[in-house]
Amino acid sequence: MSHLAEDTTTVAAAEGTPGAGLGLRALTKQFANFTAVDSLDLDVPTGSFFALLGPSGCGKTTTLRMVAGLETPTSGTIHLAGKDITHQKPYRRPVNTVFQNYALFPHLDIFENVAFGPRRRKVAGIDAEVHRMLELVELTSQTRKVPAQLSGGQQQRVALARALINKPEVLLLDEPLGALDLKLRRQMQIELKRIQTEVGITFIHVTHDQEEAMTMADTIAVMNAGVIEQMGAPDDLYENPRTTFVANFLGQSNLIDGTIRSRDGDMTRVDMHGIMVSVPRERTHATDSRGWVGIRPEKVLIGEEGEALDAPGNTIPGGVISDVSFVGVSTQYLVRMPWGQELQVFEQNTGRRRIFRTGDRVELSWRPEYAFVLDHAQDASAGSQIDDE
Amino acid sequence: MSETVRRKGITGYILLAPAVVWLVAFFLIPFYSLLAASLFNSDGSDFRGYTMTYEWSNYWHAIQDYYPQFIRSLVYAGFATFFCLILGYVLAYAIAFKSGRWKNLMLVLVIAPFFTSFLVRTLSWKLILGNDGVVVNTLQFLHILGPNGHLLYTPFAVVMGLTYNFLPFMVLPLFASIDKIDYRLIEASNDLYANPVVGFFKVTWPLSLPGVVSGTLLTFIPAVGDYINDELLGSTQTRMIGNTIQSLFTEANDYPAASALSVILMLMIVVMVLFYVKRAGTEDLL
Amino acid sequence: MAEGPGRPGLSRRTVLRGAGGVAFVGASLAALKLPFFSVDGAQQDPRTCRATDVSATDKRLIISNWPEYIDPIHKPNSTVSVFEQRTGISVDYTDDINDNSEFYAKVKNQLGSCQSINRDMIVMTDWMAARMIGLGWIQPLDASKMPNLHKNLIPRLRNRPWDPDLKYHAPWQSGLTGIAYNADRTGEVKSFSELLTRSDLHGKITLLTEMRDTMGFMLRTVGADPDKFTDTQWQNALDSLSKAVADGQVRSFNGNDYLNDLASGNTLACAAWSGDVILAQADNPNIKFVTPEEGLSLWADNMLVPNLAQHQANAEKWIDYYYEPDVAAKLADWNYYICPVQGAQEVMLKLDKPAAKSPLIFPTDEMLANTWGFMALNDQQEIQYERDWADVTSG
Repeated sequence: MSHLAEDTTTVAAAEGTPGAGLGLRALTKQFANFTAVDSLDLDVPTGSFFALLGPSGCGKTTTLRMVAGLETPTSGTIHLAGKDITHQKPYRRPVNTVFQNYALFPHLDIFENVAFGPRRRKVAGIDAEVHRMLELVELTSQTRKVPAQLSGGQQQRVALARALINKPEVLLLDEPLGALDLKLRRQMQIELKRIQTEVGITFIHVTHDQEEAMTMADTIAVMNAGVIEQMGAPDDLYENPRTTFVANFLGQSNLIDGTIRSRDGDMTRVDMHGIMVSVPRERTHATDSRGWVGIRPEKVLIGEEGEALDAPGNTIPGGVISDVSFVGVSTQYLVRMPWGQELQVFEQNTGRRRIFRTGDRVELSWRPEYAFVLDHAQDASAGSQIDDE
Repeated sequence: MSETVRRKGITGYILLAPAVVWLVAFFLIPFYSLLAASLFNSDGSDFRGYTMTYEWSNYWHAIQDYYPQFIRSLVYAGFATFFCLILGYVLAYAIAFKSGRWKNLMLVLVIAPFFTSFLVRTLSWKLILGNDGVVVNTLQFLHILGPNGHLLYTPFAVVMGLTYNFLPFMVLPLFASIDKIDYRLIEASNDLYANPVVGFFKVTWPLSLPGVVSGTLLTFIPAVGDYINDELLGSTQTRMIGNTIQSLFTEANDYPAASALSVILMLMIVVMVLFYVKRAGTEDLL
Repeated sequence: MAEGPGRPGLSRRTVLRGAGGVAFVGASLAALKLPFFSVDGAQQDPRTCRATDVSATDKRLIISNWPEYIDPIHKPNSTVSVFEQRTGISVDYTDDINDNSEFYAKVKNQLGSCQSINRDMIVMTDWMAARMIGLGWIQPLDASKMPNLHKNLIPRLRNRPWDPDLKYHAPWQSGLTGIAYNADRTGEVKSFSELLTRSDLHGKITLLTEMRDTMGFMLRTVGADPDKFTDTQWQNALDSLSKAVADGQVRSFNGNDYLNDLASGNTLACAAWSGDVILAQADNPNIKFVTPEEGLSLWADNMLVPNLAQHQANAEKWIDYYYEPDVAAKLADWNYYICPVQGAQEVMLKLDKPAAKSPLIFPTDEMLANTWGFMALNDQQEIQYERDWADVTSG
């Protein structure tokens, strides 16, 4: 499914009629003193599990609320299944939402909470359908309890069942797992994914948790300051970030100042403080002569000074260990480079080599195909200071 | 261990003591005295004094002589409560959800009338509704009211006065209730195919019921016994039970009858309130 | 905290003892007089319920009167100031009486159980004065200290049946009850019967809240004499009023702002007190006062010295002072009520004051001949009539 991401990015960039799924065109929302969403173009294909990822205040929830109809766009359009729903009332849209704190009706029992939508639409066979939904979320024994009597995870499932029972074209999930503890969150992530596969409805999942997004989604759109920074399959986004924000927000990256010396053949040659490194052309996203050479910490190999590492091409000598954190499965090093910068290196504890100590002199190296080059005009620390709330 | 437990118990009683003293001094004793007075000999007077003769006929006579005033009081208070509920709900809803940063100011404005005397405020309605007043002139100009029509001294004026004076007692509990409602619940109802009207009756209204119940009680109970509004805005055709009790106490000095009426009024209200609260399913309010 | 072993059930003896206890408590309760189970009569004996007069040493006088019933007291040559200069008595004057019944309720518990109300003089309307005197709450006055009162009181206010010898009271001001109407909006209303029957006045009249004011006229309309009537006549008069109320002819019983209603057109005619009418005419000349065919009710507000007053001698000096024609004239020039002092009119004529010619301040003999008072009621009548009255006025 990962090739799909490339396709949607292309479609999103192009003008024209959106496909069968959800399509946003130049969607903008301005509040009194700031622009929450800035001319957003986005296409979500039918049946996908789509994550809108970004730090708080990036406009992802506003986007979601505009899709739900709870917020009116300042400009732009929203299409769903080929129909313009930009100004359709929320109660007429085939879209349902799982709210951040579930927003379960406290005065109704679980059964009636789930039956709320079908009752408004006066569909037949409500009882059977509600039971089927409660089975799906494994809550059949709690039907006559009120929300306050359920645990957070159970409330979460009720909220899900209450939305899903309406068989919406698109299900919107606004930080649905934010209120759960870590263990329960993991469990629900798997469950949500299972349910999505089972019902085949388009899920749009808003979250600030990159791990959650990567675990569940087929496609992730990383949003920052009202615009989409990059969109694609989780592995593609991680392996080949196009902006410093994505590189830092999605996992961690070492970004090293460099000057592009040549772009011949498939390779770009970059001068990194006097050391020449190679980066594949399709991973070079800088157009100027300067750029940030990026490498993920776990892609960096570390060895004794002069040791021949299995990394043809890019070897950087002269590092000194400045910090060691042993985390069990791996060891995380901070290595001070000759030009003063500290680089992060994660090494699996395979037991093949000794664990370095602070002050040891080391050599670093990485395979050219793992590195990437980003536009130097971007802030090297963008997206890195954002806390996981 | 048992030491702390016992001390905890004593603290509870100490904290309760002021309430108990207050209740005994200002409710139980007066009520007991009222109950006793209602059974005094009906031919007593200030000259000769009164004695306890267990004159239960005081009650029978009170009901017989003054049942129209009782019925009238219930009807007027009922209407006033209903109007208060409609007006108060709209007001409380607007303050809770639509007033934004003006919320506190709006709340102050709701209770602002309390800064002036009840009497003065009611008197001013006399001017507003009077025959030379704006309201009557406008209605006459629009031919809604005949040239001889009037508003003052009608049941309308009395109900109007009651509604005006007791509105804050309705708005404040309603506001407290509505303000607590998570607005996302209303959004959730819209998201789940409830249009705003259906959403209101299925979500907002049931969630505001505690406020509705306490608001209607706080309005209805004092309105039934009120006599100022009728005294100033009503006529001989609109006398309420409060006026009767007042005139029996202070003018006719017929304490047994006045006491019997007061006891009946109180019992009637207690029974109605219990019934109402039971029906509204909010016994936990009491 | 385990229970002791083998805790026995209730034994027969325990039960018997318990029952005995309950019976004992019950008997004691019955033997004890339960509190609030009776109210003693409020009647007092003024001969025993009295204080030592400290007038000579404590030169003070505490008076309660109705509002706007005296010329501005703080002016240097006001009647009060002159009294203070002349006698050296310092007067503590309060206008805290607004309603006879209300004031009665206020002082009832104190005067009824022989406790001081901290006043040396109060001013009550005839019927309330009669009631208070009957209850023994009022101190007899020393006639020898008030020669002016006995010499100058106008004849029409002498020989009131409830205190024929002025033993307990001295009229402060007097007034008439008649009919007022708004000439701008309706034709003249000549009689009380007209007031209660004319269809163009339906729902647009008010009557006064004081029983004697209104019932006096009702008695006249059924051909009875308010100064002397029977229970049957009373019942007739009451029925006729009751009918007018039930028909909706009478809008309300009002004693406060009834003339505002008249001026603003809420009402067209009403029973009215003469002094109020004079005051209202200043603002609205269309308000007219008429002597109804049934005659005028004459009443007075009377100075009384309550039990336990400590400055009775000073109070008597005050009464005597206000019965000097010069002082009375000065008060009449300010007031809108009937001056009860003979000779005051002559003083005012000499000073060329317009009020001297007003028949509502100095009524003609002819007018006075057409006035009546309300007969003194005994305890039983008082209760019965007030209750009948309350029933009618409370709809």
